[in-house]
Amino acid sequence: METHAHGQSAPRPKQTAWWGFGATLAGLAGLLCGAPAAIAASLSPQELQVLAGAIAFMQPPPAGGSVAVVYAAADPASRQDAEAIAAELGSGLKANGALLPAKLVEASALAEGGFAVAIAAAGANGPSLGAAVRAAHLLCVTANLPAVQAGFCTMAISTDLRVQIVLNHAAAAASEIGFAAAFRMMIHEI
Amino acid sequence: MTPFAPPLMAPAKRGLPAHLPGLPLAHAHVLPFAPLLALLPGLPPALPHALPQRLLLALLLALPLALPLALLPGLATLAHAQTVDYGALEATFGEPVTTSVTGKPQRATDAPANIEIITRDDIRRSGATTIPDVLRFVTGLDVRDYGLGSADVGIRGYNQAANPHLMVLVDGRQVYMVDYGRIIWAAIPVQLDEIRQIEVIKGPNSALYGFNAVGGVINIITYDPLKDKLDTATARAGTQSYLGGSAVGTGQIGNTAALRLSAGGFNARDFPAGPLSPADRASRQPPYDGNINADSRWQITPFVEAFGDVSAGENRLSDQEPPGVFGTERLSTYAVRFGVAADTALGSLGLSVTANSARVEIGEVNAALPVTVGEAQSSTVIQASDLVKLGLHHTLRFGLEFRKDADDSGFLTGGTISDQIAAVSLMWDWEITPSVTLTDAVRVDALQLHHAGILLPGTGLTNAQYDDTTLTEPSFNSGLVWKASDDDTFRVTLARGVQLPTLLQYGLSLRSTALVPPTVFLGSPDLNPAIVWNAELDYDRSLPPLDSVLRNAVFVQQTDDVVAWPFGTPLAAVQRGTPIFDSRNVGNTDAAGAEVELKGQNAAGFRWQASYALVATSDHTVLDAGPVPTSIVEYAHSTPNNVVIGGIGYSRDRLELDLLARWQSSYLDFRVNPQRTGLVAVNIDNYVTMTARVGYRLTDTLTLALTAQQFAQDQLVETAGPPVQRQIIASLTVRL
Repeated sequence: METHAHGQSAPRPKQTAWWGFGATLAGLAGLLCGAPAAIAASLSPQELQVLAGAIAFMQPPPAGGSVAVVYAAADPASRQDAEAIAAELGSGLKANGALLPAKLVEASALAEGGFAVAIAAAGANGPSLGAAVRAAHLLCVTANLPAVQAGFCTMAISTDLRVQIVLNHAAAAASEIGFAAAFRMMIHEI
Repeated sequence: MTPFAPPLMAPAKRGLPAHLPGLPLAHAHVLPFAPLLALLPGLPPALPHALPQRLLLALLLALPLALPLALLPGLATLAHAQTVDYGALEATFGEPVTTSVTGKPQRATDAPANIEIITRDDIRRSGATTIPDVLRFVTGLDVRDYGLGSADVGIRGYNQAANPHLMVLVDGRQVYMVDYGRIIWAAIPVQLDEIRQIEVIKGPNSALYGFNAVGGVINIITYDPLKDKLDTATARAGTQSYLGGSAVGTGQIGNTAALRLSAGGFNARDFPAGPLSPADRASRQPPYDGNINADSRWQITPFVEAFGDVSAGENRLSDQEPPGVFGTERLSTYAVRFGVAADTALGSLGLSVTANSARVEIGEVNAALPVTVGEAQSSTVIQASDLVKLGLHHTLRFGLEFRKDADDSGFLTGGTISDQIAAVSLMWDWEITPSVTLTDAVRVDALQLHHAGILLPGTGLTNAQYDDTTLTEPSFNSGLVWKASDDDTFRVTLARGVQLPTLLQYGLSLRSTALVPPTVFLGSPDLNPAIVWNAELDYDRSLPPLDSVLRNAVFVQQTDDVVAWPFGTPLAAVQRGTPIFDSRNVGNTDAAGAEVELKGQNAAGFRWQASYALVATSDHTVLDAGPVPTSIVEYAHSTPNNVVIGGIGYSRDRLELDLLARWQSSYLDFRVNPQRTGLVAVNIDNYVTMTARVGYRLTDTLTLALTAQQFAQDQLVETAGPPVQRQIIASLTVRL
């Protein structure tokens, strides 16, 4: 079971609620006009760039593989979010001198291996994901801070106004993931 | 018996190898840097005082032992280790990163001090040819120009000739001159093109950097040759017959070794002498400057990185010295540094050994120094640190430092005046909540003076007095940062900084026969260091609708035991008709001020800055009490109280346009009078100085720029010295 905010999009602090309100109005307007509303990915391109930077500070850095964009099969919105994230990644995530292609998977598929990092799409955060990334020793990244606080995912990234990275230390340790000391000193660990 | 006594002199007699002077044989084999140390200039022939000796030995013994122990557990868990990767951290966190405030990497907005980071883009767009030209448009900074390539920089007032209040570093290596504690900016072996950023910390930061970091710290961060491939060359030509340029090249062997070479300099005709006295005019010579630097890094193992840099420079510059005279100095400077950084389970360990030396020839034609004076300065610094994050919310930094400074001049000091300083420091950074961080740093410095040579007879000063002089001083910095919201940051800081008297203030032993009657100027081993207390409240606010950041600061500062040069102190004695003046502590001075700055840029390509800085200073000293001023240490009137800085810029496609302006209120400045009997107080009217730059990228690799510095007038009186002329410079930059 995921924490409260695993709905359509990741929780955004403070005034972004106004943006969300505006976006909702825009979406409604689009529906009224008969046009499909654009789905914004839960992780923005800027946040994916931050993820690329964070990967470079992993110790050891992942040796190739793909980016697992994990979605909840039972949740169409989750699949939509995963597709939106994959679309933002395009040909892949450029990190640490390598291009890591995106691959949409369910949490259970992480055990197959071949992944460098896992991105949790909206709705995918939960105990099953937490268990899967721990077993696969993967860094799990999400926009959903409560999921990181609950230990379902390892790292939350936000770029509203300024870059914020929150790392669940216990979750990272359980997945045997380490980061350079300089990086750890610049993020918020819980 | 003086403290310079046996057990430490004894090792030589006990058969200490010649290449390890002064260190007991029993310890020599564990010192990996010992042979290197012996080769470095300025290394103490002996370790004279018990406290520095013990601290030094603890430092030297602890590190070789601690390093391998620390590395062993790291072998199993670490894959990367290195000095701080500024570029990667900046790219990840979206803003410049600094280590200058606490030693730990942090965003400038999170630092527990008032810090301003001047980026490489800022430097380029400023059109500056020197670092002081860049700093002129930074809020709270003052620049005194004496000629092309020659200036003093002050932070929040207290600027003066040969300003000793400032600590300047290049990648953490201290570059100040130990005679006056001053900065010869042109002698800093770094080219503008190889600077990643300049970090300006306002206010004392002695708890990290030790003595002299009382006015502020300026840390010049260059590109990392291992991570940044930089190949560029710039040629400049302009008015004042200015010809200059620089070249920077980087060679890399995979990801394991890299070397960056840089060289640069200029040749020019200086500004006219203006109001200088005939003697000072005669001493003024055309300036030139040349520096070369090699900066190397090696990734020894995945978790250990070593670095080394070597530099040399040669320059001739006109400047003002503490007596108020203007003269020309020729400097030959050399520096070498080696170090290692390791990321381990015990934290980030660092060890470095630095040696600076300078040969100074003062070719002034003036009453006090009628002949060319030679002066050899040296400093050797050994630093070790461990930066470790404990748990989730605590970061600690342990530091050990030993340094020896020496100034050898028969004419000025009657021999060699030197000091040895041992220091231990601790920084504790506590993330109390995600939005509140408390940082405390404390450092204790222990100093031992030494004089060798022949002091002026009849003055009462002896070598033994110097050798008996020790002092131990604590300093601290404390800062609380509260991020009240994503937009609002409050910062409260309190600091106790220690400004050590300079070596010449301690050891001057000068008899000037050119004065009538002949006059003696003395240093004093009895000087107390000046203690600088500083309290500050800052408030930063992001203004997203304006694409700007608003920064506000108010501060109060008190300096106890101001140290004054003997050139302006009250008469100490008259001996057989010879006046004697000595260096002494002359009282206190207070300052209070405020700064407001708005800075921003938008997606349309516009950028802007506007700031106001207020500094009000009051002196409570015994100086300049008579009808004629005698000392340049006169802060109350020699600080411009109000400064307004404005700037606007625009970039589009290949074009960059920038305009910077600075207005400052009037102030009082000094120069020596033609009779050499005192100083002339000169009222410097308020003025505006403006700089404009147009840059155009001809191709992806070629940029042409035209800069006009101080272009609003033909010449501008900025100090009591030579006026600053309009300067037009064209530059062509190739960047591969």
